[in-house]
Amino acid sequence: MGNKQTIFTAQQLDAYQDCTYFTRKEILRLFYRYRDLAPQLVPLDYTNHPDVKLPYELIGSMPELKDNPFRQRIAEVFSEDGEGNMTLDDFLDMFSVLSEMAPRDLKAYYAFKIYDFNNDDFICKSDLEKTLNKLTRNELTEDEVRMVCEKVIDEADLDNDGRLSLEDFQHMIVRAPDFLSTFHIRI
Amino acid sequence: MAGEIQRQNSHIYDYIGGNGYDREDQSLRRRRVSSPASDQNYPHFNWDSTPEDEDEDSDGGPKRDIRCIPLPMHLRRTIREVQQMRSPAVSRDVSWRGRQMLRKLRNKCKEFLYFFSLWRKSVQMIGGNFGGGVQSYFVFLRFLVVLNFVSFFLIAGFVLIPSVVFRSVATNSTDILAVDNNLNGTNRTAKCKVYEVNQTTEIYQYLLDFLSGTGFMEYSYLFYGYYNITEMPNRDSYNIPLAYILTAVFYFAFCLICIITRMGSAARVAVATGSSTGVSSYSMIVFTGWDYGCLGDRATKLKQKNILYQLQVDLEEESRKRHEADLSTSKKVILYSLRVLMTFLSLGFIGGAFYGIYVATQFSQETTDKRKIVQLIIQYLPSMVITAGNFVVPLLCDKLALVEQYSPSTTIILALLRSVFLRLVSLAVLLSTLWSRITCYPEQLKGNCTLCEYNYNEFQCWETRVGQEMYKLTMFDLLITVAVFLLVEFPRRLVVDNCSCKPVQWVGRQEFVVPSNVLGLVYGQTVVWVGALFCPLLPAINTLKFVILFYCKKITLFQNCRPALRTFRSTTSTFFFLVVLLFGWGLATVVLIYSLSEIRPSYGCGPFHSSNTMWSTVPGSFHNLSNVTQEFLFFVGSQAFSIPLFALSIVMMCYVIALATVYGRSIALLKAQLKLESRDKQFLIKQIESLSRQAHIPTHRAGVQD
Repeated sequence: MGNKQTIFTAQQLDAYQDCTYFTRKEILRLFYRYRDLAPQLVPLDYTNHPDVKLPYELIGSMPELKDNPFRQRIAEVFSEDGEGNMTLDDFLDMFSVLSEMAPRDLKAYYAFKIYDFNNDDFICKSDLEKTLNKLTRNELTEDEVRMVCEKVIDEADLDNDGRLSLEDFQHMIVRAPDFLSTFHIRI
Repeated sequence: MAGEIQRQNSHIYDYIGGNGYDREDQSLRRRRVSSPASDQNYPHFNWDSTPEDEDEDSDGGPKRDIRCIPLPMHLRRTIREVQQMRSPAVSRDVSWRGRQMLRKLRNKCKEFLYFFSLWRKSVQMIGGNFGGGVQSYFVFLRFLVVLNFVSFFLIAGFVLIPSVVFRSVATNSTDILAVDNNLNGTNRTAKCKVYEVNQTTEIYQYLLDFLSGTGFMEYSYLFYGYYNITEMPNRDSYNIPLAYILTAVFYFAFCLICIITRMGSAARVAVATGSSTGVSSYSMIVFTGWDYGCLGDRATKLKQKNILYQLQVDLEEESRKRHEADLSTSKKVILYSLRVLMTFLSLGFIGGAFYGIYVATQFSQETTDKRKIVQLIIQYLPSMVITAGNFVVPLLCDKLALVEQYSPSTTIILALLRSVFLRLVSLAVLLSTLWSRITCYPEQLKGNCTLCEYNYNEFQCWETRVGQEMYKLTMFDLLITVAVFLLVEFPRRLVVDNCSCKPVQWVGRQEFVVPSNVLGLVYGQTVVWVGALFCPLLPAINTLKFVILFYCKKITLFQNCRPALRTFRSTTSTFFFLVVLLFGWGLATVVLIYSLSEIRPSYGCGPFHSSNTMWSTVPGSFHNLSNVTQEFLFFVGSQAFSIPLFALSIVMMCYVIALATVYGRSIALLKAQLKLESRDKQFLIKQIESLSRQAHIPTHRAGVQD
């Protein structure tokens, strides 16, 4: 069909289509969503690969993300600089992994990174406590938090080192039928 | 530190890009970056892998695998360029182009179908605001709407339109009597053939007749009685009786196939997760409990409260189990005897409801009243009793469940089973009461059946009467839903919002309870299945009814309801809904088979008035087929064909079972291997530490020298 858009070259669109789970239309739609966050920063012409990064505050104000307690971790995991400031590539990447077409292993990998607050490639007890507090709005008592963390590590830790590695996490995710439908943002 | 060493020595895997993996069981392994100081530990991509050997396998090939690599976008683009440069020019032109075109075609198809999916945005919004459980109800409702709509086209195409054509073409339409050839006693059959329909005279009677299917609606395309044939079917003309039966049978088979196909994907998930489905374990709640698609501040707060509640309930259940294990023997005996008593009580309630339905059906068939309104109420009496029973008995059983003190999950499952049993068996009681009256099973009616082999005094055209009963059930269900929607739910919300006195706030806003709503849908669909043979337009009416139901429920959900505190697991619940629907289908099939083969069709109406049973038209028209077809069908039905077929299907089943066992065993072996490998890892690390300490080799501890 005719290339009526002038934002990307045909090769760029093809590359995006091959590298994400989106179709042409969806990529263009996402570009306009990205641009709507800061129209004065994002040019309408991406053919010469401009280096544009949107600060985390703008990303975190999107309606799909603004109420999510993990939005800061999501932005940090998918951004190049690790601070939450996202380029268009990061933006597309994030929503591609969180779309319904992404396979379970890919989602499990990124979910693991999101829940790993201190970026040491293990989910330790402090990471779990932070996750729990974000999940329940700090309304669990200290005892309850401690008990739940112990139970989680008991259930999921296979190599008995007191924390969850990526393999433990993936093994647990395999047995969770809801994971694919809950780790999913509709945009 | 041991941790550091562990990190460096561990996870020494290499990532091989795109070796034609299946998307599903791709194992993600990565090579760790050796410097622990970097923020982003990207997995390293093995640049040496050659993509040439991947070109011939799976569609999509290496292109699809790029998306599965957990690297940032710019690295993936580089990999893609490298792969494109590597693939030989020849295959680039032919197979690569072919794959590209296939991809593009698939994308276009997806975009096209995406547009057509019914109510897509509404269902998405519901899922975002109320969670997966409520969304699965609406998805199920949408499935039923589409199923009924497609079935209506089936019935219209094969039965309705030919009948309309025949009626408009045929010149004389009153020669039912003249055509019959196989009569024995003309006196008897002449008497049995009289079929009089009360005509609608007054204006208000139109509404009453619309609601109960009598009068002007009775002798119309709506019911079985109108589909008369005006001439005997011969070889060349369209055989309407045969079409009628085969369409009904095919309609049932079509619904079964649709349900089973839908169950297939849900069952795969349920089986794959295996034994852990019953356990809502803590790690599941913590890591998969958060719905990232949750929109809005209110929904987020609700979801967080939900998770909090789930965790607290689980902790409480743990402590209660510990407490129960400590109970003294006498307390245990009391608890168990209480449970047995409650079970008997609940069975008693359900049995009481059945008896009420039986009495109401008998009463409504026997009595007539001159006053129209009272007559209408008598007509609707079975429906009213069923609906009242379906409302009251689960409430009572909930109160009993408080005494029984099972764990929350057991309570939910038990309540569901009781509701399903109540609904389906009450429908079965209604139907068996009707049928026993038609075939004069009770002693006092025996005399009525001697003349025409069915109860002619009460049912001049019994099929139409059965169709009317099903029609009345459907209409009553719809009326009650709309009435409750307008008269109960909206006022309740207004009262709760504006009046802040304690008892009102304690009752609170309506909660959208998924299981009972789903059972209502299954009940409605079962009624339609039972009635489809006798009331061919019932699927169309049901489609309209379900569409109205969708909008009513959606409006009430957003305006009047607060989200439930206890949510329903969405994936296992889909499978459960379909299983219950299958039970309803089974009940309808039993009814269909009984009606087709056991009861003599009415003499005075319908396409089968000259056959002994409805099914006998099929063997009768069998002889109209060509000889080749007859021999083929004989062969298919003979032993020479069916016994090898049976043996073959047994062999296939054994193969599939063996495959499943092997998979299960390999899963267990892999799990054990995982545990063993981690233990080996720890052992090796301890060895390294002790050796390095012995040999006074400085470890990675900063500044420690021995």
